[in-house]
Amino acid sequence: MSSTLTMSVPRSTSRLPAVTDRRTLALGTATVVVAALPVALALTDRHLAGASTALVLSTTAGTLAVSALAVQPLLARRRRIARHQMLGCVALGLVLVHVAALFVESPGDAWFAISPDGPTRARMALIATVALFGVVALGALRTRLPISAGTWRVVHAYLAVMVIALGIAHAVLTDGALDDAGTPILAILGVVGLLGVPAAHVARTRRARGRAPSE
Amino acid sequence: MRRPWLLALVLAVVTIGTVVALVDSETSGTGAENVGESGPEPAARPEPQREDQERTKRRCRATKSNPGGTNNYIPDAPRRDSLGSGFVITGLVRFTDGCRPLEGVRIQVWLATETGGEQDNRASVRTGSDGRYRIETAPTVPQFGEPNIHVGYDDREYGEVFIRRVVDLDDERAAVDLTLARGD
Repeated sequence: MSSTLTMSVPRSTSRLPAVTDRRTLALGTATVVVAALPVALALTDRHLAGASTALVLSTTAGTLAVSALAVQPLLARRRRIARHQMLGCVALGLVLVHVAALFVESPGDAWFAISPDGPTRARMALIATVALFGVVALGALRTRLPISAGTWRVVHAYLAVMVIALGIAHAVLTDGALDDAGTPILAILGVVGLLGVPAAHVARTRRARGRAPSE
Repeated sequence: MRRPWLLALVLAVVTIGTVVALVDSETSGTGAENVGESGPEPAARPEPQREDQERTKRRCRATKSNPGGTNNYIPDAPRRDSLGSGFVITGLVRFTDGCRPLEGVRIQVWLATETGGEQDNRASVRTGSDGRYRIETAPTVPQFGEPNIHVGYDDREYGEVFIRRVVDLDDERAAVDLTLARGD
């Protein structure tokens, strides 16, 4: 009986399995390229030759965090929300590893960097990290906060823009592993991430109004 | 969204606060001037000869320590003539009263270079009869995002000074002058 019923019900999705597979493959490939290219550039840069394990770890984690932040808005759609949430936690974890490794590398320099006397790039990183905590907390507490869905979305998007803009500006202003070819790659990642936020909003709004084009 | 104006106000305040916090900061940290130079090393200019009376009246402003100056400082850096080759740090050390060059003063220098970190690349050098010191090092590498030069004095005859300056990655030289005041 149930099988009969199932067969009689029209498919709820308009997306064909082959298209889904191709899109998933394309997204997966793009994600690997976005994640692997900056890290490969950073780890093969001459500035890391002979660097300590802590500095290599910090650079790797920071670079991966930049890549994660750039693709995060692309995963904010309903179907990919689980991956979006997971990658948000991963990005936060990577940033914490990045910072912790810097404290291992040189506690004096690390404390100085986050002090009121620290350089602009460090202040950007500090504000971006606070905003990242905020955006992850908002994601985790979405249903439990006494704010409307609209307010939640605006604040979440605002903090996301702050994290991406300041995080990538921090990476661009930092001399070292991602100079030269790394700078345009960082700029592209920043643009992708920043354009992704309004794009995700538009997609969600259209879907909510039932005017989303069939996929 | 019941009160959009309140949300807009909060976000505007946060945005303005962020912009102010960034504009208020110094690019390389408080007091960290860029002292890097490139090209051939210029000959040191001799101090102009002045009459003793005129020299006594002059007073130079003492160099003040700046934040981050003591980062990675390890007391009593070993005396070394060189820390490699490819980058030169020089400077004139003077006394506040009369602005006279100080001879035989021990200056400590430390920086991250291609051969090691700030705690590995440290040296004590003494000023010559013209009050100048000079040490050649390996090319600098970024330390926390930017090449740093640390120069310090903490012997007892004068007041201690620890300063942090920055250079660009392709710089070949840095000039860090110090004016020391009488110690407390």
